[in-house]
Amino acid sequence: MAIKNIIQKKLLPLTILFLLSFKISIAQKVVHYDLYVKDTLVHFACKNKRAIAVNGQIPMPTLTFTQGDTAEIVVHNELNEETSMHWHGLLLPNKEDGVPYLTQMPIKPHTIHIYRFPIIQNGTHWYHSHYGLQEQIGMYGSFIMNKKLSASNFRVGIDDLPTYPIILSEWTNYKPENIHRMLHNATDWFAIKKGTTQSYIEAINQGHFNTKLKNEWKRMLAMDVSDIFYEKFLVNGKNENQITTPQNFRKIRLRISNGGASTYFWLNYSGGKITVIANDGNDVEPTEVDRLLIAVSETYDVIVNIPDDSSAYEFLFTSEDRTKSTSLYIGNGRIHLVYPLPKLKYFEGMKMMNSMMKMNGDLDDMGMNMSLNKMDMNVVMYPEIKGYAKSKQDDKDPNRYNANALADIVTLNYAMLKSPTKTQLPKDAPVKELHFELTGNMNRYVWSLNNKVVSETDKILIKKGETVRMIIYNGSMMRHPMHLHGHDFRLLNGNGDYAPLKNIVDIMPMETDTLEFSANAEGDWFFHCHILYHMMSGMGRVFTYQNKLPNPLLPNPNYAWKKLKADDRKFHFMSNNDFANNGNDGEAMFANTRWKFSTEWRLGYNEMHGYESETNIGRYIGKMQWLLPYIGFDYRYRKMGIN
Amino acid sequence: MKRIITILLAFFFTTFISNAQIKNSKTEIVQVWGNCNMCKQTIEKVANKKRIVNTIWNKESKKASITYDTAKTTINEVLKRIALAGYDNIAFIAPDEAYDNLPDCCQYERPKHKTALKKETLTIQINDNQEAGLQMVYDAYFELKDALVKSDLNIATKKAEVLLNGINIIKMETLGGNHTAFMNAEADLIVHTQKIIESKDLKIQRENFANLSSIMYELIKTTKANSTIYYQHCPMYNDGIGANWLSKEANIKNPYFGNMMLTCGSVQDTIRQ
Repeated sequence: MAIKNIIQKKLLPLTILFLLSFKISIAQKVVHYDLYVKDTLVHFACKNKRAIAVNGQIPMPTLTFTQGDTAEIVVHNELNEETSMHWHGLLLPNKEDGVPYLTQMPIKPHTIHIYRFPIIQNGTHWYHSHYGLQEQIGMYGSFIMNKKLSASNFRVGIDDLPTYPIILSEWTNYKPENIHRMLHNATDWFAIKKGTTQSYIEAINQGHFNTKLKNEWKRMLAMDVSDIFYEKFLVNGKNENQITTPQNFRKIRLRISNGGASTYFWLNYSGGKITVIANDGNDVEPTEVDRLLIAVSETYDVIVNIPDDSSAYEFLFTSEDRTKSTSLYIGNGRIHLVYPLPKLKYFEGMKMMNSMMKMNGDLDDMGMNMSLNKMDMNVVMYPEIKGYAKSKQDDKDPNRYNANALADIVTLNYAMLKSPTKTQLPKDAPVKELHFELTGNMNRYVWSLNNKVVSETDKILIKKGETVRMIIYNGSMMRHPMHLHGHDFRLLNGNGDYAPLKNIVDIMPMETDTLEFSANAEGDWFFHCHILYHMMSGMGRVFTYQNKLPNPLLPNPNYAWKKLKADDRKFHFMSNNDFANNGNDGEAMFANTRWKFSTEWRLGYNEMHGYESETNIGRYIGKMQWLLPYIGFDYRYRKMGIN
Repeated sequence: MKRIITILLAFFFTTFISNAQIKNSKTEIVQVWGNCNMCKQTIEKVANKKRIVNTIWNKESKKASITYDTAKTTINEVLKRIALAGYDNIAFIAPDEAYDNLPDCCQYERPKHKTALKKETLTIQINDNQEAGLQMVYDAYFELKDALVKSDLNIATKKAEVLLNGINIIKMETLGGNHTAFMNAEADLIVHTQKIIESKDLKIQRENFANLSSIMYELIKTTKANSTIYYQHCPMYNDGIGANWLSKEANIKNPYFGNMMLTCGSVQDTIRQ
């Protein structure tokens, strides 16, 4: 009796009190978002076209969290097709990563999927669909994680500034699947729309006839910095956007994410210098520049000043090919404009590429040892640095590709980024060194690593606790933004222990970059080029952890792996026909990365002309795919007595 | 026959007139800065779009009457195009580069606006009031040097004119103790600067600039400068004979070769205050 008394009167209330307080102190703040994914009609460029909106808006709503929260995001898929949501740059459990057939099965139409994970980092990131080509038509949005005010790495004067999230994107009136098909068939259409065909007539007019001839002799395609024609570029869903600021607003922090599928953007500001304070969601020592290039899927946090609060200033985002731009006006009053970036000098670029490219597809960097975007080969095409006239060949100048040495404009490069804290990895961890060469074939739009696409390789095995070091050489003619899921890696850029942390690195042709990360997150993680059409063509690899636990969201892992590989095995159709007065001449092709099934025909209009048709199937050999052994059959008929 | 011709003419004229009509039109009168008739032509050409925008700019009132199709464009789109051509207006301020590219007669008075300086320009403060005239000469010299670094013939000629002007307006009495040094240098300075202005060839400009630089060096050595000036040497110019120049920054930017060999050179002497 006495004991029962004690329990009831003293112990029980004390225990309840204890449990209650325990629960409150560990209660995680759960931040909940509902995303309703629906089909919609948009009117960005003269025509009504289909796009995908979430909660009725494009871009998708900005999701904001504080480090320490638990994110709970419910995706309501109200489309008639599957979808998935990937959180770019987030460190989270593998099954929340949102890659269809790798970390989950795609979200079926008219079902919901709940993503739930703790926020263990801070910074500017973004999120997008990882299913098919949905990222191109509206499924992109900002994902912001704020530091706790009491955090030890809180930077006064930087982290307490008013901020504005920006997501850049493109709009095209073409269906992305059709763009993908056209790219695989080496279409000239986009070049025609952009005015970048670099025809013989243009070559002769600019005194570059020999350059053009040599280019064709080498069986090269006219080089362009980007492949696709876009009708518009958008900042937060609008081509021109404005933010008004209250009086005496002098500094603002912009959280910029590049949600474009294939476009790099130049960032310029009319109100003075741009101070870079974070990259890929990780702090860097403040660096002042005049302009910077943001790669596909990269994020940059910048601080800009408003010198006169009775004026507004333009923050200009120009596509790398300088055909179009989009602007954000900051401030109140008349707007100071940025002098637009002039058109590229394409034939200078062609001349430069002619000397770099060998017939077997290899590139000759002439001993320049390039890395970290310090040397920009494209600088020969920039009139704002090299002048407008046709430049003389100055092969002896070691600075001929160094934009910062050639002009007064300071352009950011990766060597200027430095982490404010030490990022070195444990010295006693075993190192696994991997070498990759980015390879590509513009003629057939085959993009790969070491000349093998995802479906032609096995997953790469890594062990928990080891340091994985990747040395990547870009042996293709285009620059590629290589992105790693689930981990931040250190980009070794000469800053020693203070190497910056990133999750995507832009590698220019002939550059070699070294990066390393600690294998500390179990699961299957995708590593791929973030240009959407390159990724879908198979430019990537999968890292998998040894002895990892099976993923509960993938009940049939073999089936899922097959479906993932199917992406780059897709066949693309093309056909052409010549209507002439003596008959029709044409062909139709079904081709994918390595195989081609084609049929040709010559059809006469009468018996005397006859007809002939050849059907065959062939396989491409080699890196440049110059060779196509094939077998097939031929059928013809002509009524003339002589066959 | 006559009837056919009349019908054709009538048809011709009606289509011609109807082409000029803008649908859903709205007319706004806005302020656009500019100077001369050439400006009028440029402004109207840049702003107009067939059947969408029609602009009439008045040189005296500095106002433009813009008639545009509200379904196809907005007034701001038109004004942005005008500003990018170099003309400030009610909604936008033209970028400095666009304004600079306008022909001289078109460069209207710009209302002062605060812009953050892209690059800190070190002006040499000369302690002695009497030497304020020399400051103009030195500033002009440095700007001439920058123009030669950029291999820009036109700007080099312009800056040489400013330099010549600066030399000519200096009154010997205001120079105080340095007037002997300046007196000895003046004649040669004028000769070489004039040659730079007259020649249409960058090569000749650079030749004369070499002479100018050595004279300037002697002159600046005797003046008290408030900031450090570097006397730099390029060994390759003139078939190995070499040449010198003065610069406000230690960074080598070669005015004799420009982009061809931008960083060729070394600091020979530093003139501190």
